[in-house]
Amino acid sequence: MEVTIFIHAADDAFRILEKAKARAVGLLDTATNLTSETRWMREKKIQAILKGAQETKSGFQNFVATFVMLMVFWALLSGKFDTFHLSLGVICSLIVAYLSHDLLFANVRVGDGRLIAQRFLRYIPWLMREIVTANFHVAYLALSPKMPIDPQIITFRTKLESDISWVTLANSITLTPGTITIDIEDREFMIHALDRKVADDLDTGEMEDRVAHIFMEADHIYIQDVLDVSRIFAELKRGM
Amino acid sequence: MIVSSDDIIIKTIARIFVPFIQLYALYVIMHGHYSPGGGFQGGVILGASMALLLITHGYDEVKRRLPEGVVMLLGSVGVLIYAGIGLTCLLLGGNYLDYSQLSVILHVDPAHARSLGILGVELGVGFTVMAVMYSIFFDISTGGILPEDQKQEEKLESEG
Amino acid sequence: MNEFFIAAGLALCLLVFLVLYRVIFGPGVFNRIAASSAIGTKTLIILLILGYVYNRVDMFIDISMVYALLNFIGCIAAAKYLEMER
Repeated sequence: MEVTIFIHAADDAFRILEKAKARAVGLLDTATNLTSETRWMREKKIQAILKGAQETKSGFQNFVATFVMLMVFWALLSGKFDTFHLSLGVICSLIVAYLSHDLLFANVRVGDGRLIAQRFLRYIPWLMREIVTANFHVAYLALSPKMPIDPQIITFRTKLESDISWVTLANSITLTPGTITIDIEDREFMIHALDRKVADDLDTGEMEDRVAHIFMEADHIYIQDVLDVSRIFAELKRGM
Repeated sequence: MIVSSDDIIIKTIARIFVPFIQLYALYVIMHGHYSPGGGFQGGVILGASMALLLITHGYDEVKRRLPEGVVMLLGSVGVLIYAGIGLTCLLLGGNYLDYSQLSVILHVDPAHARSLGILGVELGVGFTVMAVMYSIFFDISTGGILPEDQKQEEKLESEG
Repeated sequence: MNEFFIAAGLALCLLVFLVLYRVIFGPGVFNRIAASSAIGTKTLIILLILGYVYNRVDMFIDISMVYALLNFIGCIAAAKYLEMER
């Protein structure tokens, strides 16, 4: 008697679970469709904006931005603010800006430059803390008599999209003691790590997320994550 | 023959650094009479910036920015500026490179004229040193054989 | 404070000799390039310390910037040369 009740109960529970699962899969399906649709539209929009921005920015605006940056650099170097030296600075900055305005902003991305600078400044203290903690770890590895190192090369595929964010990530990895970026090939980062712990720290991907946040690629990555999860659920659905 | 590097880190860093290096070189040239440096040092840094561009971005990119003819022209103009200022001083009745004589032309007091004269001479020295440094580096790196010459030779061989 | 900086500079000089060992005996050319670049970095810091000791930091900063720059370009040029050799 009790056994049959139990079996019934289990059966009911199983059915409810099944129904809930089917419903969840259906919901996720629509979500995937929606996100892929919006993603497609978004990418179209971003491409259009990028194209337009490159057309308008490629000329005069780039020149002016380069000139302002170079002028600030000159003022920092020179430290003399009389008319003669400032006019020399203006002439030199104009010459250099004319020669190389397409170098400094070669792959321009749409985005608020001021916000990027602000976020970059907030990224630096975090990187400093990371460097100091890694420093202690590497010093421990080097000074302990057994030298418990375990050198290894790890590779991972990055979600970042522009070359400047790749370079920021690669240089942050190289600056952190214990890890060195060997090569970036086709979005594939190849990194030499000194031991297991350092490699695991890198594998959490916090640094990558922070770099993505600086260069405003975070929204994009969020959509990418949803798509990844949906792929897993699609597997689940096929298994049912 | 130097081709463009395929390493994205080096390329991006060089792309961002080159304008600042060039401005720094000009700063060293212009402030030669206040701080260490001067025409020669600034010219070397300018040449080094072009060498960096040549190493990372390859021959075609640099040729687009700074053709061979312009380099030679800059070198000659630099010597001309130097010799011209010196000879002007000589013609105005002073010694060779006696800058204080320039006050007659520039309508300023001799001390100021001396400062301006030094600035002009250093500009000339900087241009010449930059052109010569760059062309030495360029000739060594290519072995004196340019792609255009190679193409022309191949054309001649196929014709003859 | 001056004594502290002089002591730090002397310690860095000793470290330069340690790295020089790698430059002379280091197996392979890549060790040598990395070691000479490390020597350049230490020289830069020693230059800045000298500037502080002589109270002419503004001048020595100019010199050390040039030094860092030429170190960087030289390192890249050597690496590029090896790449072309291969």
